[in-house]
Formats: sequence, C-alpha cells, structure tokens
Amino acid sequence: MKKVGLTTTIPVEVLLAAGCTPIDLNNIFVTGGKGLELIESAELDGFPRNLCAWIKGLYATAMTNEIDAVIGVTEGDCSNTKSLIEVWQSKGMRVIPFGFPQSRQREAMVKEIDHLMKTFEVSMQQVNKVMEKLYPIRQRIKYLDELTWRHNKASGFENHLWQVSCSDFNGDPATFLKDLEVQISEIEARSPFSDYEVRLGYIGVPPIIEDIYALVEANGGRIVFNEVQRAFTMAEASVHDSIYDIYLSYTYPYDLKARLVDIKKAIAERRLDGIIHYTQSFCHRGIEDILVKQQLGIPVLTIEGDLPGKADARTKLRLESFMDMLRDLKE
Amino acid sequence: MKILGIDIGSRAVKLALFEGDTLKKSDIISTMQFYRDYSTTVDGSIRLDLKAIGYHHADKIVSTGYGRNNLQVENALIINELKAHVYGALYQTELKNFTLLDIGGQDFKVVKVENGIITDMLLNDKCAASSGRYLENMAALLEISMEELKGHFENPVALNTTCAVFGESELIGQIALGHKIPELSAGINYSLYKRIKPHILKLKSKNIVLTGGVAQNNAIIHYLKEDFHEVVVPELPQLNGAIGCGYLGVLKERKRSNA
Ligand code: SF4
Repeated sequence: MKKVGLTTTIPVEVLLAAGCTPIDLNNIFVTGGKGLELIESAELDGFPRNLCAWIKGLYATAMTNEIDAVIGVTEGDCSNTKSLIEVWQSKGMRVIPFGFPQSRQREAMVKEIDHLMKTFEVSMQQVNKVMEKLYPIRQRIKYLDELTWRHNKASGFENHLWQVSCSDFNGDPATFLKDLEVQISEIEARSPFSDYEVRLGYIGVPPIIEDIYALVEANGGRIVFNEVQRAFTMAEASVHDSIYDIYLSYTYPYDLKARLVDIKKAIAERRLDGIIHYTQSFCHRGIEDILVKQQLGIPVLTIEGDLPGKADARTKLRLESFMDMLRDLKE
Repeated sequence: MKILGIDIGSRAVKLALFEGDTLKKSDIISTMQFYRDYSTTVDGSIRLDLKAIGYHHADKIVSTGYGRNNLQVENALIINELKAHVYGALYQTELKNFTLLDIGGQDFKVVKVENGIITDMLLNDKCAASSGRYLENMAALLEISMEELKGHFENPVALNTTCAVFGESELIGQIALGHKIPELSAGINYSLYKRIKPHILKLKSKNIVLTGGVAQNNAIIHYLKEDFHEVVVPELPQLNGAIGCGYLGVLKERKRSNA
C-alpha cells in the first residue's frame, strides 16, 4: 500500500510510519485546476446536483488519481462521507475507516488509533519516531502563523496554504520543511503590512472560492486567522503529548462550542475587526452560522461558496462594503 | 464643527447639515436647479455655491450620488451610496439589525445590516418598473398627482406585465374596462410592491426600514406591513442618504478628536 488518499485530517503519523505517501484529496481537488471537470464526472456517475461540491470532488479525485487506498472518516467530519465510502467500495476502492469518536473519550480514541496502526502494521515506537520528526515542522508552521498575526508579514493566503497542507505535509515532510524554510526566510525579509489594515478572521471549512484572500487584500485588509486550517496543524500540541492526546485536543471534529472558545481567544489575541464565516452550499455546517453570529460579538460576514473558481460579483461587492464599514470603525 | 451631507440623486439633491451630533437643517432641491443655479463644473469636479444654497457654514462636506451623479464635489469626501443610506438608517432608527429597503427615482436597493455593518445587498438599477419613476409615469397617465396616487391600496386592479412600457398599455386596458381611480391607483402601487417583494424576502430580517422617495407612499407601507414583522419609516426617508453622509462625517470627526 503506497499512496493513501485522505478525506480530511487524520493521524497522518501512522501512515508515514508505514512508509505510505498520504495525499489529501481536498488539496489536489482544488489546486489541480480541474475542479469543475471532476465535479461533472462525479455527477455523471450519479452524484446529485444538490450535494456539497467537496464530496463530489473527493470522489472523482480518488477515482482519477493513482490511489491505492482511501482513509474514510466515518465520524467527526461529515455524514456525507459515509455514503461516499460505500460508493467508493462498490467501485473497488479499498477504504480504511477511521472515526473521531464523538464522545471525545480517551478510550475510544485509543481504540480508533490502535486500529489504524494495526491496519498499517506499525508499532507505537515507529509512530513516536515520526512524531519526533513532525514536531519541529509543526513548530515552524506555528511560527509562520505568528509571522501572519504578530509580525504582520505573511499574507492570509500563505497562512492558509501552509497550514491546510499539514494534513498530508504534501506527501513528504522532509521536502515540506525545506520549502517551508525558504518561504519563512522570504517572509521575514519583508516589511510589515500597515497598522491600519482591517484584520479579519476566517472561520469554517476551507474555501472553495480561490480568490478570497486576494480580494480581502485588495480591499485593504488581511486575514490573520484561519481557524480550521490552524486546527489542522496540531501545532498547539506539546512535545510530550502522545498521539492520542494530540487528536483528542483537535477541535474541528467536535462540537461548535469548543471551536467558539478557540475563535474568541483568537479575536482578542489577534485583534480581529471582523470575521468571515465561510459555508459550503448544501453543507450541514451552514446551520452553525446562527450561533456564530450570536456569540462572537464582532461583525460577521457569511460567504457561501458552491463550485470551485473565483468569487462572483455579488460576493465581491458584499466583501467590499463589509470591509469599507469596518474601516470606518477603525480609522 | 459643522458637517454637510449631500446626496445627489437623479431627480433631487438632498442636503443635511449636522452641528455636533445633531441634524440642524435639511433641504431637498431639484437636481436640475442644483446644477443650474448652485454649482459650476470645473475640470470634472463640482464647485458648489454654498452661500447661494444657504449652507456656507459647513466646515466639511461628505457627498454621495448614484452612477454618473456620484461626481467629485470639490473638497468633499465621496462615499458610496449604499454606505450613505445605511449610515442614514443607523442614525435615524437607532437600530443595529435591519433590512433597508430604499426605493428611489431610478432604482431600488435592499441591504441587510447586521451588528451595524452591511452584510448583504440586492441592487436593481436596470428596471424602471421597479422604481419611483414607474409611479410617476403611471400617475401622469391617470392624470392624477403623486399625492393622490399614494393613498390608494384597496382592491387593486391586476397589472401583471413586468415592464414599465407595456404596463402603460395594460393600465389603459383597465381604464377602458371602467375601473375607477382608486382601484387603478391601488393596482399601480401593488404592482410595484409585487416586483420588489421577492428581493426583500431574500434578505429579510425582523425590522424592515423603508427609505427613499417612495417611503412616502402609504400604499407601499400598507403592503409591507401586511407581509413583514416590523416596518420602520424614519422621520426623513427622502433625506436618508444625505443624513448618512453627514452622520459618517460626524463619526469620523468623533474618532479624530478621541484619537
Ligand atoms: S463542506 Fe460540509 S458537506 Fe461538504 S464535505 Fe465538508 S462537512 Fe461535508
């Protein structure tokens, strides 16, 4: 088993310990430049039109790339994945199930990760070795995040891209680190963004709209917090944490409450002026918007995306007006 | 500090003067008169004769306008019209969460405001049948005043074409059938409302704030109240954009003196 596709962040240490190459299907789907074609081919295979585009993208990406198996996350991500897994299996794809236990109980997590280790035939020792290698990389990613919000030098897109890539470390952690160091030195050499920029947080699933970060910057602001992407990095884990601890403190698969605590902390620490809440068309997480707006206490702009590509004219105008008024409050 | 807000509309120019935090004076003059009597255009920007309009005390000017009317007024801060109207509604209603419906002479806008900030909008400037101009033309056809037109909302005759031009033929058809002025007027008011309602529904919230010239139309207010929770018409709906300009100027001034 060599190339293993992922539908979301999972304990990637296990795969690396087994000598597999992890491939986050989401990343290939949106960066490959063939997003719309992939969705169309999934629809030809019978996926409904009124279904989240990510699911269709994941399906077709796995089918058209040389992937030996897929880790299907059955719990804690998306209920659509459960049905997706069955379709994959019917097409002969090997699917290894993994679940983030909704109880968030330690024993249940131990069981899930142990099962994954058994499937990949790796020992705890091997996993720990990988963890030692990944720890410094995660710390460098944390530094890149600080270069974004504390030193005000990295762009919102860089922050997004590097953090979101921590789900699979682009398949090769060593090269990832090398490239990351190059990027960090480049960012360090820059002069900081203006003090007057509008500082935004981005919450919700990563965007299917490709130019959101660029549009924010074109309107005199910057995204200095990417909530879910940051959660993907596991950078908050300490060097002493076991693999079970790391994935127990990971917030994304669990309830919104825990995420809101995280977001509120970032609002204060990163001095955010407003929040962009991204929701995906046909995604159950859109309901969370109700609580997000009630509880965050700062202006929230909800942007819904459907298909991969650039933002439409209305989204652009909405973002422009929102940021324009935030700037009035700030000046 | 005295701040003058100006909203240059297609039919009328609105002026609102703030002193400190309060609105002191306001006027509405026809756009034609504004250009003819009170301003000269120098190198593409408008030089105002503030003395002639009676606003020579202003220390600062904030202005807005629509499309080609969003001209550079000399020494003024120019802001976009959407924002001007939202600030106007924030000042006049003291609400923070609402859906603003502004029906002007040539366009309408529906703007959703949450926490005092614009979060969504639907704009229409392509369709004359969804603007104040439609009412004016139809009133002219009936040979009645806008005053008379705006009072009738009961038993509207059916006017179903979506186009301002064909709407006239349809109205003539209804006149020929013997309908009287009250039902014909109600039909005109209702047909405008019917075209705008789906847009409000898309961005609705608990409070609907109605501004623009058409906010003086009692029939439209009546229909809105039938369909929506709470309908708020500010005291000076037509001056809302100019008030918003002035109020933003006040906010900026407040920030500056606090800084
Ligand atoms: S965006 Fe929502 S519906 Fe789509 S895969 Fe993610 S969780 Fe599922």
